[in-house]
Amino acid sequence: MDPELFQQTFRHLEVEVQKVIVGHDDLIRKVLIAFFAGGHVLLEGVPGLGKTLLVKSLSQTLGLSFKRIQFTPDLMPSDIVGTEVLTETSGRREFQFKRGPIFAHVVLADEINRATPKTQSAVLEAMEEKQVTVFGDSHLLESPFIVLATQNPIELEGTYPLPEAQLDRFFFKLLVASPAPAELKEILKRTTGTASAEVSTVLPEDGGKRVNDMQRLLRQVMIAPPIEDYVVRLVHATQPDGTNGGPLKSSVKQYIRFGSSPRGAQAVILGAKGNALAENRVHVSYEDVEGTILPALRHRIILNFQAEAENITTDQVIGEIIKQVPRN
Amino acid sequence: MFVPPAAAMIYVIALFFRATWLSQNVAVLVVVFIVVLGALAVLLRRRPPIASVRSAARLVDLRSGAQDHFLTLATIDPATQPVSLIARLRRQAEWFRNRVDLKRDFPYRLKRSAYWSFGGSLAAAILIHLLLVLGLPGRDTGAGPERLRELARQMALKPELRELANELDALAARLDDPQISAEEKHVLAQQIEKKIAEQQKNQEQKDNRDLLAQAASALSQQEQQQASSGQQQGERQKGAGSIQTNAPQEGQGENKQTQASGGDGQGDLNAQLSQGMDAGKSKQPGQDQNRSGDAKNNRGQPEPNQPGTDPKKEKPGKTQGGSKEGAGQQQASAEPPPQVGPPAERFYKAGEGKEGLKGAGYVTVQLPEEVVADASGESRATKESKNNRIRTQVPVSNVPLPTHVPNAPTEKQPVPIEYRSIIR
Repeated sequence: MDPELFQQTFRHLEVEVQKVIVGHDDLIRKVLIAFFAGGHVLLEGVPGLGKTLLVKSLSQTLGLSFKRIQFTPDLMPSDIVGTEVLTETSGRREFQFKRGPIFAHVVLADEINRATPKTQSAVLEAMEEKQVTVFGDSHLLESPFIVLATQNPIELEGTYPLPEAQLDRFFFKLLVASPAPAELKEILKRTTGTASAEVSTVLPEDGGKRVNDMQRLLRQVMIAPPIEDYVVRLVHATQPDGTNGGPLKSSVKQYIRFGSSPRGAQAVILGAKGNALAENRVHVSYEDVEGTILPALRHRIILNFQAEAENITTDQVIGEIIKQVPRN
Repeated sequence: MFVPPAAAMIYVIALFFRATWLSQNVAVLVVVFIVVLGALAVLLRRRPPIASVRSAARLVDLRSGAQDHFLTLATIDPATQPVSLIARLRRQAEWFRNRVDLKRDFPYRLKRSAYWSFGGSLAAAILIHLLLVLGLPGRDTGAGPERLRELARQMALKPELRELANELDALAARLDDPQISAEEKHVLAQQIEKKIAEQQKNQEQKDNRDLLAQAASALSQQEQQQASSGQQQGERQKGAGSIQTNAPQEGQGENKQTQASGGDGQGDLNAQLSQGMDAGKSKQPGQDQNRSGDAKNNRGQPEPNQPGTDPKKEKPGKTQGGSKEGAGQQQASAEPPPQVGPPAERFYKAGEGKEGLKGAGYVTVQLPEEVVADASGESRATKESKNNRIRTQVPVSNVPLPTHVPNAPTEKQPVPIEYRSIIR
């Protein structure tokens, strides 16, 4: 696939989603990057910020199948992955696999932290393996496949926060911020009048194939060894102590309980590659890395109690890491 | 960065060598040492003259805003990358290359340390040169033996002056000889000067007369230099602890002498020891030496500044009024008075005339049975030490100073230097 076509498609998708979603340009770009990198996204934000609308619009522009799963405490794994049901065909009774909503290209796992860990793990297995196993039979999920999960950071009662190991499955964790006054004004104008914006499908009918091509191209983007070393140093620097201590100063290390896993480094590089292609480049730059490291590592670094007590966030820690780790 | 300091040091060594402060061997050794040291420093601080491709590419990226195009091109292995992407990257890099202007983006600049090194070395060399030329004129030998040799060479060309030229050349060699004393050099130079003067009278040719005049002038200049350097040496020796000095004394002790010279109308000379006097005198190392000499001769003399001194241990009759027993029986010190000049000329303060202390070098001191100093009957030292319960008996005189009697008998004694400021 030609990088030019990738960039055009990507830009077109951005523009179409921006017709519906006011502001959040960076959020839209990051979601698209994660999609073309083959990752899943955890969107965190208070209700009413347009998370669900964003995912819906994205699926529409992509022209791919879309399913929404509203996670509740009584949601069962079979409600997501599907189950065997007894059916009678031509006088013969047999079990037939009934696919759950996970079998879609774009899946919105709304308020994923409201479901029980058992149900959450069913989704997370599907995210990682891109297949589900029901009664011993494995069923492959369609490609491309992306899960966009949302969670509310303020309502913690009756929720089951995702464990660290499962958080690691998400490629990016994106924070959905409240709109700025100008953006809010634009939102009101678009949603309270008679006119309604509609998104059009960007990808052709065989959109899945195009997406797969784009995903392949993204992995071919070149990255210079010094930049690769930089990513390694950055991720290595998140390790709090021991031989993996890295060059971090104690002022940062004292807040970290667990550093990033290798998946974090993978996410940084793939995200940087996606960003490079989106900017019509076929190589990764230092700026791409630094622009990607925050969503890629913020849910992979676990802070300790001291950081919590001092209101230190992972974003602050990562920002300090970027400052302290030299490029060369 | 290391070249300017090394060059400056070599220049300074050359200056020292010219000034004959360093022998040839030492100068060569030092120069070799400096060169080796400089070479070592260069080797240790050596960096590759050409930057690595990676760092150069990074620099070009920064200058042209190429977002790591050149870095990627310089560091990736093209064989492992898709050809189409490599070609695209090259095309993009080509576009960015046109934005780079080598002269504008990479101007050749010397490092700041190089400027400092050059400036500092130059300043140091100039400073040392000026110090040598201005501060130490006696060392400027440019017009010395070399000049004489040059004149000798010129004179040797003239048959009638050849003999004198040989003598002048020999004199220059002797002037260079450090084993020959300055006096001997002076004598030799004067002999040649006489010969030159005689030759000048006999010469009729103007050229020859000029040449002889130049030689005479060079000789006299050489003598002046020697004289001035000898004087400087003498002054240095004096400053380093010469015994004989006529320098006016300063200090508290002399203030008291000023009072004495002013007179209180009684004409008494009360010899008192005071701490201030010693403080005033201690500034002159030569005098300290004198004092120590006196102390040897006048052993047992009380020393108020030394708390450990016990006046009771003094030997009666041998002190200079240090005890009651010795009062009135003072004996002249065995040490002869200083022979440099009359004491009055040596010790009067600035502003005092000779007449003020004329004949004060030798005073006859008659000490009474009891120590009576002033109206209260106590000497100053006694007052000061009363509270400390150390009652120092100091020599005090209340007898008017008689006229100077030549060939005075045993009472005649020299005034030690320590006493000169306590006479009032």
